[in-house]
Amino acid sequence: MIPDIPISLIALCCGLALILIGLWGMLTQRNMIRIIIGFSLIDTGIHMVMVSIGYVTGGTAPIINDSVPLAEAVKRIVDPVPSALVLTAIVIGLGVTSVMLSFAVRIYKARKTLMIDELTESKL
Amino acid sequence: MMNSLLDMLLHPLGIYVIALGAGFLIPLFDRAHRGSAVLLFIAALAALATIAGVNLLAIIKGAPPIFIETAGISPPFSINMRFGLFEGGVVFALNSVAFLAALHLLGSLRKHASALLLYLIMVMGINGMIMTRDLFNLFIFIEITSLATYALIGMERTGSVLAAGFKYIIATSIASAFFLLGTVFIYYQTGTLNIDDIIVHSDLIQGPIGLIASLFLLTSLLIELKPYPANGWGLDVYETAPSGIASLISVGVSSGVLFALYKLLPLMGDFLPSIALISGVTFLASNIIGLKQGNARRLLGYSSIGQMGLLTMALVMLQQLDAMDMAIIVVGGLFINHLLAKAGLFWLAGIVNREQINDWSALSQHPWLLFLFGSMIAALIGLPPFPGFWGKWELIMQLATADYYGWILLVLAGSLLEAAYLFRWFTRAWQGDITTGTAGLPALRIRFWQPATVGIAVFLLYVMGSGMATLMDVTVPAFLLPLAAGLAMLLVDGLPGRLKNIVMLLIVGFFGIGLTHNLTGINLLFSYLLVGGGLLISIGALYRKDNRRGFYPLLAVLLVSLAALLRARTSLEFFFSWELMTLSSYLLIAVGRNGLKPALSYLLFSLGAAYFIFAGFAVAFAATGSLLLADLGDAGEQAGLVFGLLAAGFVIKLGGFGLHIWLPGSYAEADDDFTAILSSVVSKAGIFGLVTIAAYLGVQADIGLDPAYVLGWIGILTATFGALMAVFQEDIKRLVAYSSMGQLGYIVTGVALMSHLGWISALYTTVNHFLFKGILFLAVAGIILRTNERLMYKMGGLIKNMPVTFTFTMIAIIAMSGVPPLSGYGGKWMLFNALMDKGWYWIAALAFFSSAVAFLYMFRLLQTVFLGQRKLEHAKLREAPAILLAPQVILIAAIMVISAYPKLLLDPLSATIDPWIASTLVWEGTSLVSHYGNWNAPMIMAIVGGVWMIPLIILLLVSLTLKIQKVEQFNIVFAAERPRRPEETHFAYNFFAHYDRAIGFLVRPRATAFWNATVEWTHTFGSSLRIFYTGNGQTYALFIIMYFIGMFLVNGGLEL
Repeated sequence: MIPDIPISLIALCCGLALILIGLWGMLTQRNMIRIIIGFSLIDTGIHMVMVSIGYVTGGTAPIINDSVPLAEAVKRIVDPVPSALVLTAIVIGLGVTSVMLSFAVRIYKARKTLMIDELTESKL
Repeated sequence: MMNSLLDMLLHPLGIYVIALGAGFLIPLFDRAHRGSAVLLFIAALAALATIAGVNLLAIIKGAPPIFIETAGISPPFSINMRFGLFEGGVVFALNSVAFLAALHLLGSLRKHASALLLYLIMVMGINGMIMTRDLFNLFIFIEITSLATYALIGMERTGSVLAAGFKYIIATSIASAFFLLGTVFIYYQTGTLNIDDIIVHSDLIQGPIGLIASLFLLTSLLIELKPYPANGWGLDVYETAPSGIASLISVGVSSGVLFALYKLLPLMGDFLPSIALISGVTFLASNIIGLKQGNARRLLGYSSIGQMGLLTMALVMLQQLDAMDMAIIVVGGLFINHLLAKAGLFWLAGIVNREQINDWSALSQHPWLLFLFGSMIAALIGLPPFPGFWGKWELIMQLATADYYGWILLVLAGSLLEAAYLFRWFTRAWQGDITTGTAGLPALRIRFWQPATVGIAVFLLYVMGSGMATLMDVTVPAFLLPLAAGLAMLLVDGLPGRLKNIVMLLIVGFFGIGLTHNLTGINLLFSYLLVGGGLLISIGALYRKDNRRGFYPLLAVLLVSLAALLRARTSLEFFFSWELMTLSSYLLIAVGRNGLKPALSYLLFSLGAAYFIFAGFAVAFAATGSLLLADLGDAGEQAGLVFGLLAAGFVIKLGGFGLHIWLPGSYAEADDDFTAILSSVVSKAGIFGLVTIAAYLGVQADIGLDPAYVLGWIGILTATFGALMAVFQEDIKRLVAYSSMGQLGYIVTGVALMSHLGWISALYTTVNHFLFKGILFLAVAGIILRTNERLMYKMGGLIKNMPVTFTFTMIAIIAMSGVPPLSGYGGKWMLFNALMDKGWYWIAALAFFSSAVAFLYMFRLLQTVFLGQRKLEHAKLREAPAILLAPQVILIAAIMVISAYPKLLLDPLSATIDPWIASTLVWEGTSLVSHYGNWNAPMIMAIVGGVWMIPLIILLLVSLTLKIQKVEQFNIVFAAERPRRPEETHFAYNFFAHYDRAIGFLVRPRATAFWNATVEWTHTFGSSLRIFYTGNGQTYALFIIMYFIGMFLVNGGLEL
């Protein structure tokens, strides 16, 4: 018998785990592509956390009509705002990831390396 | 119809419409013609600034703040934006600077149409960060700005820029992730994203989630502001990115983030101390590390980060002190200052295009660029009249009222360090060719329009700064007069040198008398010395025939600011004029032959002195709640501290014992005629300050004897060591400089006595010092003019060539030495009497000793320069020019009158002091009486005159009857002396070798060694602070994570 864990909690935990894994990746991997993957994981993790926050167990879609009386709306429907925010955040995450990748490509062209610890010429 | 369309376009929403619209159109236009795209770009930026300006103006005139609502629903259910006074001010300033930066960058931006687009979007993003009132929307705008910044950095395809850019992306994307998480959790707890709504419901933000949410938001914004030590990624970008982009990151993006922090501050109540600490540490650490920086742009990076730290700290402090009504002066002033000065400096760095600050020597050929450079540096330090001056003043005053003395120390120490490295850089640039620079660089080629944007920024700095004076209740016209005089002289700087001198005398005379004519008491007395004396000595400068570009404008600023100083009624007015005086005298020393290096140490010690004075005024303000100088005496328990701080400042300025190392170099290397002004006139400003505070604090508030007793000792030690060091100088100017230091020591002791007789002796010596030092330095100027030498052993026998100069020098020396019959005797007589009255016997003994020592160097001056053997090459020298002798004649006449009838001077002096201390002078006819005897000047004059004149006449008569054989110059042989160096064959070299063996150990340069060690130690500390900068992007990311963890633990994480 599967214990009765709300799906939002699972999403929240997965999201947080993804964030930590991504962070670990960003801090330990020397290859820039892997660092970018780490960033992507963090981003995805945050998105999952966001979605999980707005979810109401057993709730319905946030459309106010005859099936959901206005008085009960707050308890019965899923909060639409986090989902809307996630959409925007995904777009932004995509943008940042693509800029990072383009930097990686250009750095590789200029330096013939993808290792971040070989890019320390300006420091002091 | 047209009107409403215009209204629509000029609405703040137009900023976004125009930016986005132009953004879409630029690629289209580019297809047709690159030029049209560029035109559209410039027009769009101009429109952004115009819209902000028009709306800001309306709000200043009293219109209500503008709210922009979206989606047809009112907030908190929709995103809204606010355009009030603060938003409008910041947006307008930023958009204007963005416009200028775009002009500056146009050459490189126009290579890619996409760069134009990105730039526009970046500016729009910053606008959004400032205006939006929605938390998530704020995140979006931060991201828009960041993305545009990343892409702009990436336009440059060199490896180092890309590497720096990648580190920047890693760091800021982690920060954004924090922000997003924080936003989500805040929404989770409060159910709203509207910032105003969140603030209303801030009680809902609680528990571990609330704490983490707030800290996520806070850390994210702090990281974007690049706190030490988690800021290596930012520095790398400042160092490598194109200067226009770096300037926008430094001033634009950072300001947007700071404004975001300002909006969220009401939520951060619990964390204000940590934010203040972090930004304070960042300010101090950046400025210490800046000392070690050789790369110009990275140096600007450190300075930028430091300034942002200061701004953040100021903002948080005001919030904490509940003094947000001061934000417009403190934060506004510092912000505008940083915005214009730092942007201008980055642009200048782009124009000069020299990586190492040593290579900025190329600027020495471009006086106008140097002027711009220096103005911006002075602005960053917070010197008047720039906006930063007012901001810093108000900040320090606010800190003082809250008794945050540690913070005052931090701000002032950081500012001094920043002054050290910025002005060192300026000095390198001015100095021209130096050997350490990278050799073989091509000469700097600058087209005339390139610095235009920098020029506009500097112009705005002057305008804004002068404008802010009106906000501060300073009686503006009076205190800006020095700058007006300087400007007027600058306009006629093309005229011949002598003509300019006369014009300057007229202008200074007009302004100076206008400023001082209705003064009374001590101020009136000093107005004769500072204004009248300044004019008199300046006449001597007519002996120079050359053009002397820049000299007269600066001298005009200096002399008029001295007049303004006397007129100051409040500490702010006093400090404003004081700093102007410091700055102008620094520049005047720097224009001397080898003046740059000593000028730098002069400036740093003077700024140190100024900061002591600043701190003293701040403590006084906190104690009395008044800026009026006359209220200083009400400081109560704090009076001792106030007196100590102010006296420390004035004593440094006078070259007090141990703090004198700036003095000989500055006096020696300044132009000869300016040294005379420096010693006889400018030093009196320090005396004026000391007398003023002694009057207000020493007598009125009764600080007790102790601080005064310490001051008395400092004065006498200065006198003793000044005299001792003068004895062993070979350089004539250094000798007179040390002598000047020693004489000022007596004055300090006299003031410290806090008795009527002591003060009379101080004021009398002040007047006397003005007279004889004026003569001595002008005479020295004449000697140097004729011989082209400063070393005394290279002179000798000049009495034959320059009998008038000899006579004047001798009279000045007698007046200085304190032997009868000339004026110095009276000063010493009163000083000894006052010391004995007070029971300061040891000080009296030292005063006696140092007076005796003074004879040695005076004798040396007279003997080695004028007597003895004349050098062959000096046989044809002429007397000093008449125009140099003219002011000396007046000074000699004054000495003679005062010597014979001291009552003429003593009566007004006594009247000046009477309001403070009841007179103790007892006159019997023409003689002054004390317990220990009496001083009858006319009689002494008559007796000494008789004693001198009768033998002289007899000898002259005798010489007529005797047959005298004149010894020719080389009619001597050396006996029992074995010369090892050529100089030693001259008797004047190491003249007092025998004394040197006996007491020379007293005058080894220990103070210099101490200060050098301090400098060395600070540099070492600076380099050890750089240990965090590994250059590795991952390390930087780790720091950022640790920063968050640290914030979490410090702010309650441990208790969860």
